[in-house]
Amino acid sequence: MLRPTLNELISGMQRTIMEAMLPELTSPYAQGQAMSTIGMLAHAAASLDRAPAYDAAEIKDLRATFAALKRLGDKHISKKSGLRGALARAIRAGAKNPPDRRAMEAAMAAFATAVALGHADDGVARHVRAYLRRNLERTLALLGSPLIP
Amino acid sequence: MDQHRLTEYLKRRMPHAREHRVVGLKRISGGSSRETYAFDLEWSEDGRTHTRPMIGRRDPTGGLLKTDREREFKVIAAMHRAGLKVPEPLFLELDASVMDRPFFIMHRAAGRTGMGAFPATEPESTRAKVADDFLSELALMQSLDYRECGLEILGAPKNPEDPARIQAAHWSEVYERDRMGEHYPILTAALAWLVANPVVTDRVVIVHGDWRSGNYLYDDNGIIAMLDWEMAHLGDPMEDLGWASMMFWGRDELAGGLMEREAFYRLYEQKTGYRVDRKRLFFYQVLGNAKMAVICLSGIRDFVEGRTSDAVMPFLELLIPQLFKDLANQLRLV
Repeated sequence: MLRPTLNELISGMQRTIMEAMLPELTSPYAQGQAMSTIGMLAHAAASLDRAPAYDAAEIKDLRATFAALKRLGDKHISKKSGLRGALARAIRAGAKNPPDRRAMEAAMAAFATAVALGHADDGVARHVRAYLRRNLERTLALLGSPLIP
Repeated sequence: MDQHRLTEYLKRRMPHAREHRVVGLKRISGGSSRETYAFDLEWSEDGRTHTRPMIGRRDPTGGLLKTDREREFKVIAAMHRAGLKVPEPLFLELDASVMDRPFFIMHRAAGRTGMGAFPATEPESTRAKVADDFLSELALMQSLDYRECGLEILGAPKNPEDPARIQAAHWSEVYERDRMGEHYPILTAALAWLVANPVVTDRVVIVHGDWRSGNYLYDDNGIIAMLDWEMAHLGDPMEDLGWASMMFWGRDELAGGLMEREAFYRLYEQKTGYRVDRKRLFFYQVLGNAKMAVICLSGIRDFVEGRTSDAVMPFLELLIPQLFKDLANQLRLV
């Protein structure tokens, strides 16, 4: 492996700001910006470590959720709801290589909207809510760190 | 802001005074929607030397909000005339050639402030005084006739359902503009719910638009000045109450970190003489979470696209999961 690694570079940048630049800054505003930049680099390092697993879990869960919704069958997804088209697009997006996560999330937005507006069948709503709960848990685990300046 | 240009500008605006000196000019954090500078102005007049602490707020190159500084200045001036606790507005300059971008100057009030919920470390007596002032000032603002204040410029809603519709439509539009092609299912659903379920107001009042802990200066005797008037508009009184009492700006059961929510609503009713309409309050709490999430996305977009270099902007991403969680709970999406 070539050294320094990306994480080692980020740690080095943090030290450079902290030890070489910050002591020379006299403006409190500039000092605050420097401290935020150090935090931003910590956030970047954490993202590098955790984002790939987060992305993989999201795609897997979206695929599984849309597959489950498809298994429910047409009687649970009325034609006029417009959700059949969204489901078809999501299934196609999930089958692409690489999967089109944005298109799957667009379809999930349509399903979540139907749930919020009370337009979704109970079976559909159960799958959508379960996905959104898992998605929130993953997002909070990824970003819910005490890094807020 | 440039010290020399600022001094020359103040000389022109204060021709009766002599020997103007701008002292200690420095950029400060806070008020993320505009660049904020603190300085003292010294001058001679009537054979005496005067000093006044001032704040300069200059339009940003990018940032959290795109708002009109003339409108903000006029609102602060109207609130100052009406006796609200606000910083005294002094000069408005719309000519961008003076200091690169439009700006205005206000008196710099003393006092402390926080980022969000009222600090738990403050003494109980201070918290009680701030909580009381927070709702007294809100009640005073909501009692004002916007026409008598000269604030028709904010655009009076024509129908009682307009305030909710206008806000839902506005933040949906900003979301579409600033989501950078991403889809956020919970936020999309929340905005659709807001558009589909507008509430009807019982009266039209001046709405601050960001009435919350973190947006006032205070000391041990209570609130000194309410800040950040750039989102002011005319609308439903429940909008500011809903925003102020959102979980996001509070701490546990304390609205704004100030007071237990039900007691907060009761005190609001005492101060205003109006009942808290729970349906409208709920609508505006949902709107508040959606609006804050959209504001975060706007700040992130400006950072990503290079319109601001403010290092705080990327951290807005970290605020979004909590807002989504609150929205999902409110709309039973989880």
